[in-house]
Amino acid sequence: MEPRVAIVGVGHAGFAPITAGLSYKELMFQAAERAYDDAGVDVRADVDSFVCCSEDFLEGTSIFDEYVPDQLGAVHRPVQTVAGDGLFGIVTGTMLIRSGVANVVVVEAHSKVSDVLTLGSIEHFALDPVWNRPLVPSVLAVAGLDMNAFLERTGLTEEHCALVAAKNRCNALDNPRAAYPADLSGDDVDDSAPLWWPLRELEVAGRADGCVVVVLAAEDRVRDLTEAPVWLLGAGWSSGSPTLESRTWGEADFVRRAAQRAYAMAGIRDPAEEIDLAEVDDTYAYKELQHVEALGLAEPADLGDLVQEGDLEPEGELPVNVSGGALAQGNLFEANGLARVLECVEQLRGEAGERQVEDVQVAVAQSWPGVPSTSAAVVVLGRDEGPS
Amino acid sequence: MIERIARPDEVRRWPGSIPVSHRYTPGVAGQAFLETLRDRGVILGSRCDRCRYTYVPARLFCERCFAELAADVEVGPAGVLRSFAIGFVGVEGEPLESPLTLGLVQLDGADACLLHLVLDHSDEPLEIGRRVEVVVKPAGERTGSILDIEGFRPVEG
Ligand SMILES: [Zn+2]
Repeated sequence: MEPRVAIVGVGHAGFAPITAGLSYKELMFQAAERAYDDAGVDVRADVDSFVCCSEDFLEGTSIFDEYVPDQLGAVHRPVQTVAGDGLFGIVTGTMLIRSGVANVVVVEAHSKVSDVLTLGSIEHFALDPVWNRPLVPSVLAVAGLDMNAFLERTGLTEEHCALVAAKNRCNALDNPRAAYPADLSGDDVDDSAPLWWPLRELEVAGRADGCVVVVLAAEDRVRDLTEAPVWLLGAGWSSGSPTLESRTWGEADFVRRAAQRAYAMAGIRDPAEEIDLAEVDDTYAYKELQHVEALGLAEPADLGDLVQEGDLEPEGELPVNVSGGALAQGNLFEANGLARVLECVEQLRGEAGERQVEDVQVAVAQSWPGVPSTSAAVVVLGRDEGPS
Repeated sequence: MIERIARPDEVRRWPGSIPVSHRYTPGVAGQAFLETLRDRGVILGSRCDRCRYTYVPARLFCERCFAELAADVEVGPAGVLRSFAIGFVGVEGEPLESPLTLGLVQLDGADACLLHLVLDHSDEPLEIGRRVEVVVKPAGERTGSILDIEGFRPVEG
């Protein structure tokens, strides 16, 4: 039988618009030190395998997977790189443990985006070179097109999306690690400049530097390492149709598929009933609502009321992005998914301080690697170990 | 605990860049699309008979059922606007000289949506569901590129 997997340690560094003076290696070292300390592991003796998540273009270095072992304590150890969001790293680490290859696995993702001078051009380079790149001045166009299709399909309005952005910025007033906390109203957001209408400036997550390191362990190691494990109850991931021309616009069908897999593994039948807290991708404000729908947490027809009546706020029926999400913590690129996990872990352990939500037993974390991609990973985390 | 440098302007940095240049092969189906557009001003797609889905631009395989396809269906020139976005900023966030509109258009006979500029819509607010048609450049000016299409223009009906 495959062993259950738990998160036994987390550490982070940065979460700031700029981490002046720190190299990306020092940023990673700092987060790793804290995670190993939190897990109570001796990295050189106890960790069997390492998973890093990065994209060469954002790092400014070819073959970036060669640049990660030393600052993580992973020299002379199995190390692999996933070219994608950190939540895919959690998925990979889980597979390493459940397949019996490793007992303790470290997963790392970071952003040193303040060193990137031509971010827009790198993102633009992700567009299809023959059909799309010659026409589309900015990848934000893809978000604008998807947002407009989403509003048309669901009947939601620009005001609903603006309220999401305001909620997340306000939530982060209680989050000491957030890069962009702010006391904003929906009107402030709605009055901000259109970038690619209907998408507005304050509905786009600002970029930030940061690193998150997570330590995973197999169940027979868990009890030696921690009294407060957070169990990985389910994990799922899926691609969508990547092609702009034939993808499903206005709907995150790939998130729905990833969630269905994660829920099946976790034995969750009614996510809206069984999940106490959700940390979802909100790189663009409308995405939070689209992802809440795709995660099966609300019907599209109810989303408008949920936003207006405060049900997605920390005290509401379904707290979403209590951390402030990417809109307030900053867009951490490959580290966004692990930032979602970090908040779920703190909430499940009861260590979220001012923003602690009462009685969180089960939480869901979801990530999306940003435009123009269509892929997602979803993990379900809980205080009890759940089904084997 | 690592000491952070307090004054960002005192941080030493080293510059680095590489030229990244490619040439991209549109493939058999892509070439058929581009040459048909250049020579006849017509939009070429691919029909999957197994799942009854018509792709634009033409392609040699179905992403839904993995069937092999051919570049053999003419679609459009009119269709329905399925979404649009109005751009005010360019690649690095700089303001565009004048706003421009991109649209996703499901051409008649196609299931996929072609992405291109929406032209001449300043007279009335654009709405999803609007009928539009493809505008191609004059025959002598077409080179075999997606830019041989000028964009979509609203039409009556
Ligand atoms: Zn097919």
